[in-house]
Amino acid sequence: MLTVSGLTRRFGETLALDDVRFEVAPGRLTGFVGANGAGKTTTMRIILGVLAPHAGEVRWNGTPLTRATRRSFGYMPEERGLYPKMKIRDQLVFFGKLHGLDPDAAAERVDKLLDRLGLAERAGDMLETLSLGNQQRVQIAAALVHEPVALVLDEPFSGLDPFAVDAMADLLREEVGSHVPVLFSSHQLELVERLCDDLVVLSHGKVVAAGAVDELRGNGRRTTVYRVVLDSDAGWLRDVAGLTVKDVDGCSAQIDVGEPGREQELLRAALERGPVRELTPVRPALSDVFREATSR
Amino acid sequence: MSDTQTEPTPAVTPAVTPAVTPAWWLVAEREITTKVRDKTFIGSTVFLLLIVLASIVIPALISGSDGPDKVAVVDPLGTAVVKRADQVAGGGAYEARQLAGVPEAERLVSDGDVDAALVPGDGGYTVVGGSEVDSDLLASLREALLAQQTERNAAGAGLTPDELRAGSGLTERLLDPGPIPPLVAELASIGLAIVFYMTALGFGMMIAQSVVQEKESRVVEILAAAVPIRALLWGKVLGNSIMALAQITVIAIAAIIGLTAIDRDDLLSVIAPVSGWFVVYFVLGFVALASLWAVAGSIATRQEDLQSTTLPGQMILLLPFFFSVFAGDSAKTVASFVPIASSMAMPGRMLTEDVPLWQPLVSIAILIAATVGLVAGGARLYERTLLQTGRRMGYREAIAQKAE
Repeated sequence: MLTVSGLTRRFGETLALDDVRFEVAPGRLTGFVGANGAGKTTTMRIILGVLAPHAGEVRWNGTPLTRATRRSFGYMPEERGLYPKMKIRDQLVFFGKLHGLDPDAAAERVDKLLDRLGLAERAGDMLETLSLGNQQRVQIAAALVHEPVALVLDEPFSGLDPFAVDAMADLLREEVGSHVPVLFSSHQLELVERLCDDLVVLSHGKVVAAGAVDELRGNGRRTTVYRVVLDSDAGWLRDVAGLTVKDVDGCSAQIDVGEPGREQELLRAALERGPVRELTPVRPALSDVFREATSR
Repeated sequence: MSDTQTEPTPAVTPAVTPAVTPAWWLVAEREITTKVRDKTFIGSTVFLLLIVLASIVIPALISGSDGPDKVAVVDPLGTAVVKRADQVAGGGAYEARQLAGVPEAERLVSDGDVDAALVPGDGGYTVVGGSEVDSDLLASLREALLAQQTERNAAGAGLTPDELRAGSGLTERLLDPGPIPPLVAELASIGLAIVFYMTALGFGMMIAQSVVQEKESRVVEILAAAVPIRALLWGKVLGNSIMALAQITVIAIAAIIGLTAIDRDDLLSVIAPVSGWFVVYFVLGFVALASLWAVAGSIATRQEDLQSTTLPGQMILLLPFFFSVFAGDSAKTVASFVPIASSMAMPGRMLTEDVPLWQPLVSIAILIAATVGLVAGGARLYERTLLQTGRRMGYREAIAQKAE
């Protein structure tokens, strides 16, 4: 369990992080979203110890994070970079050793990863001779080479085509198993919605929403919001007691029935007046959750 | 259910074992292996080696140490004179070649088969040469002929050679003998200063480049997340110091081979102990500046910035270099106690004059103190500036930066 607790950081006069606190649970992909400049990269750099916080701390399984533990983390920084003029196998082995693997274990692990990424025959090539997509794969391999106990990935999928995103996501799932907490930031909400278990939303240096994606979208319980489509004007719904009408547009309306089960009463009342074409429960998309959370 | 059945699943703990290779050594190792595989580096090292070898061997070759000078003679007396000249010169210098007559001797001189011919002439002998006769050869032959004929004339007058020479011996005694000829000592001391200057500058620039390359490619962020920034610095300093030391060792071996090849073991016996001191001065002087070179890299953001950020480092080497080579004796004495300058001045002084033992010891103590100070200051600046990738900073700004 990775716990971020009360992180505060200023850059000059700007308050970049304001009492940021959240948790990243083992075996769960936690999406980290927020507008540009919300403080995602700053938070991640503090977790990795590359930047010092002005207040707050990061804990690992309840105790303050030490350098030795950080050394076993995997990190993919926002600004990508490896050694351009070093052979990819050599440099992955170097990173493995730097993260504490012994040379043999590092070599064995690198060969496995390169094979898994389809880069086995490029092992002896300089990084700079690879395509950008392949360089990105090597970058992910550099974060995974030492079988990290936690992963912090800043925009890991930016610049990848949809197929590569799926391949990388599969690789991540496979690597992290059931015990590695993963925090990854992204601008692509659709991607986060599809891949992540948990979500942390950051806005102007503050956490404005955090929790399981399902919970945030209201999937856990039955929703009470429904969309109704009738044959005639739906304006009469405004006069029905116990219903909250959120929106009426000609024959269709969005209605909050207040408590689960009352949608049946709504249906009966509507059928008395004529045909009902549609009655659908409405779940908020992640982008709605995001927009609502960040607009507060 | 027995309690030995299964262990509870352990909480996730870092898989890092503390016994693995320390990070600074991994960094040093990478510096070295990268450099050893770099063709430009190999090329420049080989080039430097050739220059050192050539500068030792070529002068010896030009001065003609390719066997004894050959002198054509046409009578037994000529042979005796050449032999005598050879004995005086220590052997192996001149060789007589007996020929039938003067015309044949002259032909061999014209063809260049012999260096000169010694033939009977007006009132004694004549040395026949092509366009010129080597002045050493001429003087040796003149002296040998004079001695030979004087002895013969003396014997005719009833004197033995010893009686003849009684009281005419002249020997040399120096009150302050220099270890090696002054000119050679001067050249060797300049040579040591050049080796220090070139190597310290070359590897210093390499440290700065290696740092800025990591900043430019952004890999520094991953490195800094994995290991302490100081481990990165120590690794770079260590790796490049090892390479620099290896390079001057190779140069020294080349010099020894060169001196042995031209039979100047006498020079070797003087230069060898000074080389020992030189290595100590080199290591300290190099390490003192190494962390400043790293700072020159860490305040830059791109390779192009190095031109300006390495300027102070270049000056710190260049000024003492000129000083230690061209300054007068008393100025050199002062320089041999000033850190960095001492690395270039003191070994040179030890070649050209008798330096009491306390002087290098005091000078090394001062250098060690300066090295500790410079390395500590450099490390602090390096830590503060390494992760600032936005723009190039000045030294003043870097020093004014508060630690975070």
